[in-house]
Amino acid sequence: MFIPVGAVEATITIYFNDQAITARTGETLAACLLRAEISAFRTTPVTGSARLPYCMIGHCFDCLVEVNGIGNRQACLQIVEDGMRVTTQQGVASIEWGV
Amino acid sequence: MPDLSQESRAPAADNPRALDADVIVIGSGPAGMSAAIGVAKAGLKVIVLDMQPTPGGQIFRALESNLLARPSTDKLLNALGPTYLAGQALIEEFRSVAAIDYRPETTVWELRAEATVGWLRGNSAGYLRARQVVVANGAMERPMPFPGWTLPGVMTAGAVQTLLKAGRLQPDGRVVLVGTGPLILLLAEQLRRLGVRPSLIGRTDTIRDKLAAVGSIKLSAMAPLAKGFGWLSRLKLAGITMRTGVSDLTAYGRDKVESVSLSVAGRTIELPCDLLVVHDGIVPATDVAHCAGLAMEWLHDDTSWKPKTTEDGRAELAAGPSLTERPCAIWISGDARRIGGADAAIAHGRQVAACIVAELLGVSLRSELVKGASHVARTLSARPFIDKAFPRGIAAQLPEDSTIVCRCEELTAGDIRSAIHNGATDMNHLRGIMRCGMGPCQGRSCAVTVARLLAEDSGTASPSPFRARPPLRPLPLVALANLTGLDPDLAQIVSLEDKPVDGVEVHAHE
Repeated sequence: MFIPVGAVEATITIYFNDQAITARTGETLAACLLRAEISAFRTTPVTGSARLPYCMIGHCFDCLVEVNGIGNRQACLQIVEDGMRVTTQQGVASIEWGV
Repeated sequence: MPDLSQESRAPAADNPRALDADVIVIGSGPAGMSAAIGVAKAGLKVIVLDMQPTPGGQIFRALESNLLARPSTDKLLNALGPTYLAGQALIEEFRSVAAIDYRPETTVWELRAEATVGWLRGNSAGYLRARQVVVANGAMERPMPFPGWTLPGVMTAGAVQTLLKAGRLQPDGRVVLVGTGPLILLLAEQLRRLGVRPSLIGRTDTIRDKLAAVGSIKLSAMAPLAKGFGWLSRLKLAGITMRTGVSDLTAYGRDKVESVSLSVAGRTIELPCDLLVVHDGIVPATDVAHCAGLAMEWLHDDTSWKPKTTEDGRAELAAGPSLTERPCAIWISGDARRIGGADAAIAHGRQVAACIVAELLGVSLRSELVKGASHVARTLSARPFIDKAFPRGIAAQLPEDSTIVCRCEELTAGDIRSAIHNGATDMNHLRGIMRCGMGPCQGRSCAVTVARLLAEDSGTASPSPFRARPPLRPLPLVALANLTGLDPDLAQIVSLEDKPVDGVEVHAHE
């Protein structure tokens, strides 16, 4: 759906669902994942339908992902960091009760 | 317990608030930068809060880093063209004013009318206080529900522009553009320069709209009009198919958009599609202003809200109970006040700064203010033509029952209509009974449509939006637990001894 304009100076690595993806310093997480051809950032809590970014400026909240263990982060506002661990949000959030 | 009701009634004069700055500016786009420069140069202390990592707003998004990365970004900068590069001087001036306390990557999640701002950066959050606040948080694209608009691969024109500017990405595959307004034509021209050839540019506006708008052309608006005609003729020369007067847009697909259909000249056409880019004009982003309890105006013809302000940008509180007894200290500037584009935003930001300087420093700037006001008027002079020539298209018709209105909770127009037929009478009622507008976006995508669905039934002349409550954006618990800058008048530290013991409440302060 999207390809780079010119060469990508990707010098850092992030992990999306444990898959390593190279990223450019200073780019948004959403741009990085779209370039990597990720087909859905999350599925919705109500019907489980797939979503990708819609507005890219922080209004629609469709690009929500879990970043370093914290859920509901807006990928379009989040700047990539080396070693960042990102996971998709599948449907309704669940809580793992500790023992 | 101390009698809080008495204490909280002794405001202002004898109990001055500890202030962090004279002025807080929300947003570092054209209006915010120009307002901050103006007040800082007059010697006032100013803090600028902005969500993005670098100044420029959406129009000049990532301009600094793209200029710095030359020559590898030459192709991109050339495609984005002069409207983008025009931001360089303002950004450089903003950076050069040392007195501006610029705080990037900072989200505003609360605004109170007496000039208190709740902020979040990373996992830190708190409140800041000033004598005046300038809200310059810009615009958003008009929500335009149509069947399939939640499918992956459906994006707004603004989103694609942001991916160009900040992501250095261009669309690939079968691209279809549908909608109206100068932005979609500018995007089409920028894509053409990158060699991206959409299979169709479907415009909802018509030649008839242009004829109706001719009477609104002012001499000072000729330059932006000439620019628009330039884009159109180059797209035509490049042989890109463009149709006007299209309607009935639908996106089809299972897990992503696979095709689109629309009506062109009474005929339905269907096209294969990997990326559907839509746009139906822009409207002020009202979330922050609305949270502060400011008065809103419903624009019936545009079906959008804008904050009620004077021409200079001074906001007023909405009627009814307020969270503050202090006077309203909020100004609104740029597209957040009234859609006008970058030049109008820069001129208006300067005007707001002059007004604030005159008020806080007690100086008379009468001739500057008059000159500033006429500059603001001149920069807005193309708007009457643009508004008539590009009337809202897809969003002009209310969606059919099966179309999703609330993207977050996946509620359809039919769901909302049936709740209204069952007796729901206002926005907050609907939110309470069906979670409409209660998802992560907090009604940003659905509020206008829900208001119109209510008006369709009851004929309300000026609908009110959902009541906005802080936090406007998600606030991590760790940030909330460590909030700084709490109001000492309102914050009460409660120790564990105050908690009920064996069901009996212990009053430690009695």
